[in-house]
Amino acid sequence: MRLSSLLRVPALFAAALFAAAPVAQAEHTSNWAVLVSTSRFWFNYRHLANVLSIYRTVKRLGIPDSQIILMLPDDMACNPRNAFPGTVYSNADRAVDLYGDNIEVDYRGYEVTVENFIRLLTDRVGDEMPRSKRLLTDDRSNILVYMTGHGGNEFLKFQDAEEIGAFDLADAFEQMWEKKRYHEILFMIDTCQANTMYSKLYSPNIIATGSSELDQSSYSHHADNDVGVAVIDRYTYYNLEFLETEVRDTSSKKTVGDLFDSYTYEKIHSHAGVRYDLFRGGEEEARSRLVTDFFGNVQNVEVDGSKNTTLEEDLLSLSRTIAALQQKAEEEEQAARQNTTEAVKSKPMAHHKTQFAKPLTDENWWTKKIFGATALAGCALLWGISSFLEAPGK
Amino acid sequence: MTEPTVVAGAVIASDKSTRKPPPPEKASDVRRRTWVILSFWFIVLCLLPIWWRTTTIYRANLPLDEMLEWADGKACRPVFPLRISIQADALQEQEAQNLLRLTQHALDDLNDFSGHHLRLQLSPPSTVEHQSRDRDDDTALIIRLVPGEFTSSTLDPYAPILDITYPPNTIPSPTSSSSSLAAYVASQLRTTFAEEQAIISYLLSTNSMPTEHRPQGLTPEAAESLSKRTTRSLKYAPTYHLTFSLFTSGPLPSSWDIEAAIDSYMRPVLDVLSPIHNFTIDTQVQLYASPGVQSQILNKEDLSSFVNAAEWPLSPSIGGAPTINFILFVGNQTIGSTAPSSDNPDDATNITTTSSWLLPQWGTVYLLSLPPSSPHVSLATLKQPLLTFTSHLLSLTGTPQSGSLPLRLSTLARIRSADLLLRASSTLGSLARLSLALPSIAIPGSVADGVQKTMAHLRLACETLGGAEGLAHARIAEAEAERAFFEKSMVGQLYFPDEHKIAVYLPLLGPMAVPLAMGLLNIVKEWTKRRREKKERGVEKKNV
Repeated sequence: MRLSSLLRVPALFAAALFAAAPVAQAEHTSNWAVLVSTSRFWFNYRHLANVLSIYRTVKRLGIPDSQIILMLPDDMACNPRNAFPGTVYSNADRAVDLYGDNIEVDYRGYEVTVENFIRLLTDRVGDEMPRSKRLLTDDRSNILVYMTGHGGNEFLKFQDAEEIGAFDLADAFEQMWEKKRYHEILFMIDTCQANTMYSKLYSPNIIATGSSELDQSSYSHHADNDVGVAVIDRYTYYNLEFLETEVRDTSSKKTVGDLFDSYTYEKIHSHAGVRYDLFRGGEEEARSRLVTDFFGNVQNVEVDGSKNTTLEEDLLSLSRTIAALQQKAEEEEQAARQNTTEAVKSKPMAHHKTQFAKPLTDENWWTKKIFGATALAGCALLWGISSFLEAPGK
Repeated sequence: MTEPTVVAGAVIASDKSTRKPPPPEKASDVRRRTWVILSFWFIVLCLLPIWWRTTTIYRANLPLDEMLEWADGKACRPVFPLRISIQADALQEQEAQNLLRLTQHALDDLNDFSGHHLRLQLSPPSTVEHQSRDRDDDTALIIRLVPGEFTSSTLDPYAPILDITYPPNTIPSPTSSSSSLAAYVASQLRTTFAEEQAIISYLLSTNSMPTEHRPQGLTPEAAESLSKRTTRSLKYAPTYHLTFSLFTSGPLPSSWDIEAAIDSYMRPVLDVLSPIHNFTIDTQVQLYASPGVQSQILNKEDLSSFVNAAEWPLSPSIGGAPTINFILFVGNQTIGSTAPSSDNPDDATNITTTSSWLLPQWGTVYLLSLPPSSPHVSLATLKQPLLTFTSHLLSLTGTPQSGSLPLRLSTLARIRSADLLLRASSTLGSLARLSLALPSIAIPGSVADGVQKTMAHLRLACETLGGAEGLAHARIAEAEAERAFFEKSMVGQLYFPDEHKIAVYLPLLGPMAVPLAMGLLNIVKEWTKRRREKKERGVEKKNV
């Protein structure tokens, strides 16, 4: 009887199984923010202030510096024209110094280029790049991408020298999606004709929002007369206002939809746009995402149950298995050592060979040589032909 | 030098009288002009291939079909043949054989997932010590059958051995076609490997495996618990960096016996995990650390924002390895039982007794309350936190929950190799799809190399799946696939439309192309004229 009842359990288990269970949409486990200002020069003070105020907000809501990539193309705090050296303010009341003493800028000055931005998104960087400057996301990461600067129809200027196209951006996001480098993205952009920048995106799970339509400018909110320039853009200003008044801490239940509903033409002076169609589940699903899903760092924690008493026993057993393992490893090592002594003898010979100067990379060495030789030969041939042609004339 | 004068002469002539034809050109001048124009054209034609070669984007040939096959799971069917040897010293050879046959039969009947085979074999009667010593071969589990009073089974905690006792009368007779003992062994084996099977089939089902290779399916609850497990565990990395941090709310305590504590409470686990992962460790102490939540009693919502990411130096960026954080917070805050949380009311009842929580893929926080004037955290005090950290480390690395430790570890190795295999395959697929979708992306030769290497190692891993070798190959394959995908030179302006090309080339080449084309036209015209004249002259001569 005991046996048969035991047997029944797996049978019941098997019966309970049914084909093709839908795989539940998984939650995200980490939050990242890529905050990019793209313009240089003192009169673009407000773009830096925009990006720094978003930086303060996401940091306030719990995203650690290691998961924020901050790109600042110019150093307004130390600009000689800054009447308040070492500080950046986004409001004329100058209540909060955005620059402060706890800020981690990842890409600064001339490092802020289109290439570096795309490299960051696609993670195509060299081994020399430190972890803090890389976007180490996976398929469980939500990313906030915020960009501000001067833009136009389907482009955004970087540093007044180059521009990123809407197609480039879309391709970069697609590469991220293909490599499972994000779970969901909130793309936010504050430039003139900003909505054209996200029009070419085609990868799933992106919510995109921009400050102004095609042929519309994005305006600054107000100027600080002592600083001498505009200090913040309208769109960013009202985003911040919402985030500061409605999303006071990470337990806030305000949704992305609420944030988007707060945009009005009266406030922003341009038509802010939102794009939901890329998101899985469409508009309804996208609007129901919490603001803190992108601006904050909220994870589902697992609180431990009562203390696990079997742990100590486990550990005891562990140490014993280790004793056995180590013994075995030592035996192997001894056996291996005998083999290596022979190998060591032959090694010094090899060392001598590698001491000669060598080019850093061997690849294409011969091709390069041949190219050079051909070029030289071609020049000589040309010279010979020309002197030959000249000769009959005389 | 002669040409301008000719042209000038022509201009003067046309001024004086429109009817008067220019003086005839010398034949040598005409020839020279032809040579000049032709040599220009010669240079242009010679340079065309060079221009073509230097401006085309280099795209190495990738075996796209093969890559996509890997990604779709057609190239490799992950099969885990687990060899299980039965040790039945008390049984006759023939009896044992019969039992084995029946058990295998029962197992095959129970198994609904073909990717996960349990193959039984009879091990020669020998001492246990001998067996456990050379279990390096592919045997995943040893079943030790010992006669006893009633049927029962226990897992040996130190080695992958399943002890089964049986009453002697349950031994099947050589002729019987079914046996309760065989069925019992089969069901025990199945429950032992149930979690591994579920995890692997979940892995396969979340990846794009064709339906015929897919397991029968999972209940939604099972799928949910598995997805929770995958949410919790970190992505595989060969090395993890462990950061132990002591944060105190006040000036004390300012020192801790962390090194000794790690050595005695965590080192054994790290050593056991060492065939799969390497670990690097650093520790830090910070005084006057304020948590992200100030309230005295923390409820479940507070816990996720307890870690003060803005002010605590938690990401050391040491080396290239992902960091696992273990935080010991000394303060007087406690985790309070709150209104039962919506997802799991059972949790809420347990919360009162605990002082630690796990952040998925991140690490652990442990709250420790000490008498206010203790300047030092002793080894004994650290025991409980470190044991918690250790068990969390196991679940963060993705070790299964059930079974004895040796079994859990060998299962972990198998899960990780399946995981790596699938990840490398899907990276290959991504690369193949990208190279099709973005026709203007450069593909250097090193990418093709990496793809070849990946596929070679994938093939090897697929053949040796389940063993240590399989894990090694899968690891290499994954690393190579990542390197190929993230090739540094595959960036640049991807989108470069034809209008832009015209805008670049036209102002540059347009002014040069016009005289070249006109010159060629003139030559052709003159040449045809001369031919016609020659022909006419020839006709005249013949007529004369």
